[in-house]
Amino acid sequence: MHLVLLIGLVLFAVLAVFLRDLLKAAISLAVASVFLAIIFFRMGAPYVGVFEISVVAGLITVLFISTIALTRSEAEVKESRIPTIVFPIFFIAFIIIDIIIMKNLLGNIPALPGAPEAGGFGQILWNQRTFDLVGQIGIIFAGVFAVLALFRRRNNDE
Amino acid sequence: MSNFWLLNLGFVAGLLFIGIYCLLTMRNIIKLFIGIEVIAKGITLALIATGFDKNNIMISQSLAITFIVVEVSVVATALAIIINIYHHTKSLDIRKLTKLRG
Repeated sequence: MHLVLLIGLVLFAVLAVFLRDLLKAAISLAVASVFLAIIFFRMGAPYVGVFEISVVAGLITVLFISTIALTRSEAEVKESRIPTIVFPIFFIAFIIIDIIIMKNLLGNIPALPGAPEAGGFGQILWNQRTFDLVGQIGIIFAGVFAVLALFRRRNNDE
Repeated sequence: MSNFWLLNLGFVAGLLFIGIYCLLTMRNIIKLFIGIEVIAKGITLALIATGFDKNNIMISQSLAITFIVVEVSVVATALAIIINIYHHTKSLDIRKLTKLRG
């Protein structure tokens, strides 16, 4: 079951990259996000699953679709066909190399010292990772101000 | 190091390959951003799978949530820049950007 979900995730990621229609590509990306969220729920990570569905599958898809709608007319970019045709060969070669190399490579990484976890998710997020939350607030403000700066009217210049 | 972790990280490597291939071969700017999103999905899966394997799922969840917030902020800013690029050049082709002067 887990393998099926992972294969679905990779399949929809490939579709998102190689579909010609940008709208279909964005929707494939959202479906891949839903697969990823189900994987997270099954691994016992429900909070990230909720974030993945609501933010990545919801908000980012809306942003992509609105951008596609705003830039639609006469903006068809001609992609060359060769990368799409050659992709399976490269991908299979990469998977074979990956299977050969990755086990030894990961075995060489020293294990990080991991303390046993105490408390629930909220306690860890608010007590141990407080600085992350401050950084998140800063990043959200940075994004908001960047979008505001990019979309402001330039009446004074003209 | 369990087989389950190896399986997950194998698929993570596949997702990273798909995203980097998209970044290297595509010409549409929005397609390039879809490639970046695919890479971001792989990173999130790697975080959660490693936390699941090392019995540290709570800390990896909080790291993944931080990463998702960063990702959303980056995508919003980048799509705003893409709309501005489209207004300037009337095209989404990445090769037209090299012809910009001043």
